[in-house]
Amino acid sequence: MVRTLSEQHQSLIASLADQPEIAGTIELVWRQARASLPAELLDDWVAACRDISVRIGPNAAMSFIRNSPSVAAAAGAEAAMALAAFAASFADIAGRNATLALFVAAPHAARRLARAEAFTEWLRVIGRIAEFAPESVSLLLDRSGRLLDSLDLRSFETWALGGIRAAENDPERRLKFFALLDTRALHALEHGADSVAFTDVERELKMFVAALWRTTPPIRVLPPADFNTPRRACFANGVIRVPQSSRGVDGQSGKDLFRATLAHVLAHLQFTGEKFALGGLKPVQVALVSLVEDARVEQLAIGRFPGLRRFWLPFHLAEASGVVTAPALMARLSRALLDPSYFDPNGWVNKGRDLFFAERVRWTDPAISRSIGGLLGNDLGQMRVQFNPRTYVVEPAYRDDHQGLWEIPAAAASAGETIYESVRFEQSKSEPADRERETSSSGPANLARLVREAVEVGVPVARYPEWDYLISRERGDWTTVLEYNPADGRAEQIDSILERYPETAYRIAALVQAAKVSRPLRVRRQSEGDRLDLEATITAAIDLRAGLTPSPNVYARLERRWRDLSVLLLIDASQSTNDLVKGIGRSVLELERDATSLLAHAMDGMGDPFAIHAFCSDTREDVHYYRLKDFDTIWGAMAKRRLSGISGRFSTRMGAALRHAGRDLVSRRSYRKLLLLISDGEPSDVDIADRRYLVEDARRAVLSLQHQGIDLFCVGLDAGGDSYLTRIFGRPNVIQLDRIERLPEKLPLLYFRLAG
Amino acid sequence: MELDDFRIGQEPYYRAIGDEVRLFKAAYAERMPIMLKGPTGCGKTRFVEYMAYVLERPLVTVACHEDMTASDLVGRYLLDAQGTVWHDGPLTIAVRQGAICYLDEIVEARQDTTVVIHPLTDDRRVLPLEKRGELVRAHPDFQLVISYNPGYQSVLKDLKESTKQRFGAMDFGHPPTAIEAEIVAHEAKIDVEVAEKLVDIGQRSRSLKGHGLDEGASTRMLIQAGRLISHGVSIEAACQIALVLPITDDADIRGALTAAIAASI
Repeated sequence: MVRTLSEQHQSLIASLADQPEIAGTIELVWRQARASLPAELLDDWVAACRDISVRIGPNAAMSFIRNSPSVAAAAGAEAAMALAAFAASFADIAGRNATLALFVAAPHAARRLARAEAFTEWLRVIGRIAEFAPESVSLLLDRSGRLLDSLDLRSFETWALGGIRAAENDPERRLKFFALLDTRALHALEHGADSVAFTDVERELKMFVAALWRTTPPIRVLPPADFNTPRRACFANGVIRVPQSSRGVDGQSGKDLFRATLAHVLAHLQFTGEKFALGGLKPVQVALVSLVEDARVEQLAIGRFPGLRRFWLPFHLAEASGVVTAPALMARLSRALLDPSYFDPNGWVNKGRDLFFAERVRWTDPAISRSIGGLLGNDLGQMRVQFNPRTYVVEPAYRDDHQGLWEIPAAAASAGETIYESVRFEQSKSEPADRERETSSSGPANLARLVREAVEVGVPVARYPEWDYLISRERGDWTTVLEYNPADGRAEQIDSILERYPETAYRIAALVQAAKVSRPLRVRRQSEGDRLDLEATITAAIDLRAGLTPSPNVYARLERRWRDLSVLLLIDASQSTNDLVKGIGRSVLELERDATSLLAHAMDGMGDPFAIHAFCSDTREDVHYYRLKDFDTIWGAMAKRRLSGISGRFSTRMGAALRHAGRDLVSRRSYRKLLLLISDGEPSDVDIADRRYLVEDARRAVLSLQHQGIDLFCVGLDAGGDSYLTRIFGRPNVIQLDRIERLPEKLPLLYFRLAG
Repeated sequence: MELDDFRIGQEPYYRAIGDEVRLFKAAYAERMPIMLKGPTGCGKTRFVEYMAYVLERPLVTVACHEDMTASDLVGRYLLDAQGTVWHDGPLTIAVRQGAICYLDEIVEARQDTTVVIHPLTDDRRVLPLEKRGELVRAHPDFQLVISYNPGYQSVLKDLKESTKQRFGAMDFGHPPTAIEAEIVAHEAKIDVEVAEKLVDIGQRSRSLKGHGLDEGASTRMLIQAGRLISHGVSIEAACQIALVLPITDDADIRGALTAAIAASI
């Protein structure tokens, strides 16, 4: 029997009779329940309320009564009843507080998921999480709204269960994860199911940029930040930073968003020119000047590449409806300035559009952004539309955060008077600044390393003779080589070298790849060749006489088929390599590092065994020798760190180092063995006054190694040192470089000699 | 063997960019060996054909490859029922009968191969056939032309100094935008505006040279795309078939090129 409404009403009140504070709200809730639940379910609902009150407690019942009508309204009455059914068992596992949190979180989840089945599924997921991590589930429910905004249900489950597994039964760690205090949690969140990580599409996008604009600005990934702030790309000092991952909107993939972002930032780099001075602009004016500037550079870019409009338009989703807030109006204005088919009835938006297109002929002048933006900012202020610089996020998602457009005085930055939100700005300030700049700063960092290393002890590994040209004899066991542990630098520095010379890296790799260095092999019985294969010819002649069909394979030729080459790169790390190379303002050591990285990259790609060692010397008793990479270790982060960490100090006792490196190479079982010294030229040491002495000794070392079947080459990075190097290595074996880009031009010389 | 088959019957289309026709004529008058430098598909071969037509000489073209030996150029003994018989190679034919011999992509050939042209390219103008014990004196009309792509990936296979210094050289680049558009429009029989678009797209791909591509799209490729367009294919589809897909197998480069093309039209 269906009871009358008032009976149900009475029964509800009765079931909560011991909760006097309910009386005030129950009327309202009752009306809501009646509106959102079908009449036949009202009974069940009342019964559920009573049930929850009895089994979990009156507080929970209160919360259910307040929240379940919204659930029913958003996802259907079944969702509300499923919530009630689920609550009882959930309370047993997770406790009362979690149940309260569940009821509070339910309406948002229902709105988000919209269908009863999806909502039931959500309950199931929550139930599973509660089984594994009962202590964390209320924390999770507190954040569930935000989470569901950025993840779909499936990725939500994956994310949560992944966090539980990662915590390995440690409730503390689970709590940290679900409180989003764990960076992994944020990473995993940013990298949801339908999002694309920049690293996955980086190569293609970089080539896209190179194809359109013929530049390859460095592109870095922003560190993960607070989950609640949507990330925008930014650019400064020529370095572009993009969010770690991006999610597509409205049918566009994450890759499309990255592409649109880069196209936009590149438009700025092409057309913005000078940064704007802040002057006395208010935040809202800053926002609008930036917005107009965005539109201006986009129009200019479209003038050059008409198809770009199609890259950007899908992200402009603003519609001429809804609440008139400052961000909404700005989004509409952005669209109006880009989308010719968009009509907006708003007067302010139209004024902006008219002003902008009236200046069509002057679009090349950034000053128009400033004047139009300033005007529009004033107008917006007079319209009394609130603009909150703290919460303002640049829309659409592909646009940058505008910080690269403005000259921000250092004082203002610290005072918080920054573009939109001081917090975000300071955070980006504290990031490691421009990587390129760091690598070139040498002084203090190197000094610190020097001090630390000074106490390091090397292990004596070998003694070598030294040639004294005055007596024309070798002095036995004259020098002592000590091997030291190399200092660590940053592996990224080496990677950035490869990025700095993409073309050079590519050409060197192609070159090394093309060199076939191996024993020549006579291949017989070929259909083509430069000479007749005598045996095959005789057989063919016999066949002919016998009336048989002879084989056409009667030629022989010589071929080099494989690569069989070991290379040892020996780096001169003496004090003199800290000198700047004339004309380019970079030190010899930096060039050495560049050349080594490029060669190592190429050889690693080919699978040639190679080693990288470095040396310097401090008298004959202490020749420092560093094994940055050995033949049997991989060209990985450790080798790169070590290469990045070498610093120039002491002197250059070349002969001893060559002998020591040669000893390594002699034991290699390769067809050709190459010792490649990269140096700035002049051997010297503090205990030797005679400049010729070490030159002659090094020459002697080179000759004796050549006798042992090692090819020695020298890449000299200072044109001034020519005479010494040619004396030591012989003119054909020295390559002089003043710019690293010339390495590929010179390198063939070296490989010619090897292949010949 | 008569070289009638090697004569160019119809005037090939060639759009001069600078003074190259006059310069080549002067070089031919002196029978100076000429080296044509430039990226693939920029018109080197067409230029030689055109000059052979203008000078009314037969043209013997040899496409060099990395397994090509000296015997492939000068000739070799072949086997027949009676024993061995000598067979002239294309270079020898040209030398004997006074043709222009065009060695395309000479750097591709092995080092020892290129040395056989040395005695032909100085004042001796002879070709020794070592295996036959014969010294062939060059016909007065004979001229040697080689082509050479310096930006090619096998930098290693650079020509020997001693080879390079025997030649006069003419540098061919991609033609300037307007002229390239004119060429594409003429060869593909399409509107100049469309040809200009294609040339712009070609330039986008050329900026990828060194970033994963060995060479950007050549003028020849743009003409191919243009021909498809003249059959009613859309620019995007034509570029995909004639440009993006042939030029690389790398999915990332394809993606980048496709996006760059989309941005340009």
